Amino acid sequence: MIVEMKNICKRFGSHEVLTDISFGVDSGEVVSIIGPSGSGKSTLLRCATFLETIDGGEIWYMNERAAGTDTSGRVEYVPQKDLHRFRSYCGLVFQQFNLFPHYSILRNLTDAPIHVQHRSREEAEDTAMDLLRKMGIADKAKAYPYQLSGGQQQRVAIARALAMRPEILFFDEPTSALDPELTGEVLKVIRQLAEEHMTMVVVTHEMPFAKAVSNRVIFMDGGVIVEQGDPYEVFENPREERTKQFLRVFER
Amino acid sequence: MTFQTMLATMAVGMLRTFGVFVLTLLGSLPLGMVVALLKKSRFALVRALVGAYISIMRGTPLMLQLLVWYFGPYYLFGWSISGWRFPAIVLGFVLNYAAYFAEIYRGGIESIPVGQNEAAVVLGYSRTQTFMRIVLPQVVKRIMPSVTNEVITLVKDTSLAFTLAYQEVFSLAKQISASQTSFMPFLIAGVFYFVANYAVEFGMGLIEKVLDYYR
Repeated sequence: MIVEMKNICKRFGSHEVLTDISFGVDSGEVVSIIGPSGSGKSTLLRCATFLETIDGGEIWYMNERAAGTDTSGRVEYVPQKDLHRFRSYCGLVFQQFNLFPHYSILRNLTDAPIHVQHRSREEAEDTAMDLLRKMGIADKAKAYPYQLSGGQQQRVAIARALAMRPEILFFDEPTSALDPELTGEVLKVIRQLAEEHMTMVVVTHEMPFAKAVSNRVIFMDGGVIVEQGDPYEVFENPREERTKQFLRVFER
Repeated sequence: MTFQTMLATMAVGMLRTFGVFVLTLLGSLPLGMVVALLKKSRFALVRALVGAYISIMRGTPLMLQLLVWYFGPYYLFGWSISGWRFPAIVLGFVLNYAAYFAEIYRGGIESIPVGQNEAAVVLGYSRTQTFMRIVLPQVVKRIMPSVTNEVITLVKDTSLAFTLAYQEVFSLAKQISASQTSFMPFLIAGVFYFVANYAVEFGMGLIEKVLDYYR
């Protein structure tokens, strides 16, 4: 298992956003998380990438515990220096890209490898250029984020996450902020990564994409996992009434 | 008194004004950042103390503050204040302007989208790295117009040093004007201030242009 979330609970004030969520992702697996807005999908990703702290349950990476309940029932995270290592296992691609506007595209990809992972500039730049070529935007290396289209910016954001060589990459609705005609180029890149067996968890509203690319689909609603399984099964033969209801909306 | 002597005397005053100006900026620009960060401290007591400091600095006249810094040590502790004039002026200006700069910095820091911070954290940047490499450069660009405003105000505020009988350009203008019954010194002072601020505007404009490479 690359990542394992066990019995995750998360509250914002008195509102419980995640209730007893458990799921794991194996190496090379592509998991799609679907569900209505407000169902806790994004919060789950934010908990997995340590942007939010959990209120209950356990988080494991590479069979090592990053967070869990102690004897008194409170959630305890590993110390800061170890958390740093756990963070390096996972990458996150945001809905809003969140590129660094004051850095060139190349520097967006090399700054963290150089200053966080202490790799040589030469190596970081080689890796970055390889990634940009793969994303089809090598000619933009010297440009700044504002000069790129949304689709190009999101591909840079994916490359930036990959430049850190994570074990697993999380996507939080990577195409939701894009114009419809630009979603294709981003989905194509994710599909390509799937073919290379990059381990990924994708929160998405792109049902055909989820069906075609993922090994497993998780349907979430109201902070719980309602149903999960083979994409074909979940989309064509959903067991739960709630899943059927949700998917019917997309058929129209 | 010839025009030339007048001009020469006042140019010396302008140099003294410049001294207050430069030292104030050197002290208050960094100190303002410290104050801004303390204002965002985890500890409520620190936030309250810093909040009170900013309120007092902004809520009372700078002229009054200068008088307190200069005469305070004598009236409160009976200390001799000879030689304390210039340090008191600089101290008063630095502490006052740091409060204003702190609020400008805080506004700038809070205007940076939270996604910038989150992206940096996920990439493994430490808190210090996130601030120095990601947040601060963007803050600098955003606050330039407000900082320019404040710096221009400072050029003119230096004339308040005349309250402590510091011989800067405005004090000299008043003295010469009274002794020579001439309006000319005020015109000269006005031109000096204007030229100084024109230089400030030009310099800050250059910096803004350099930072214009991204949006």
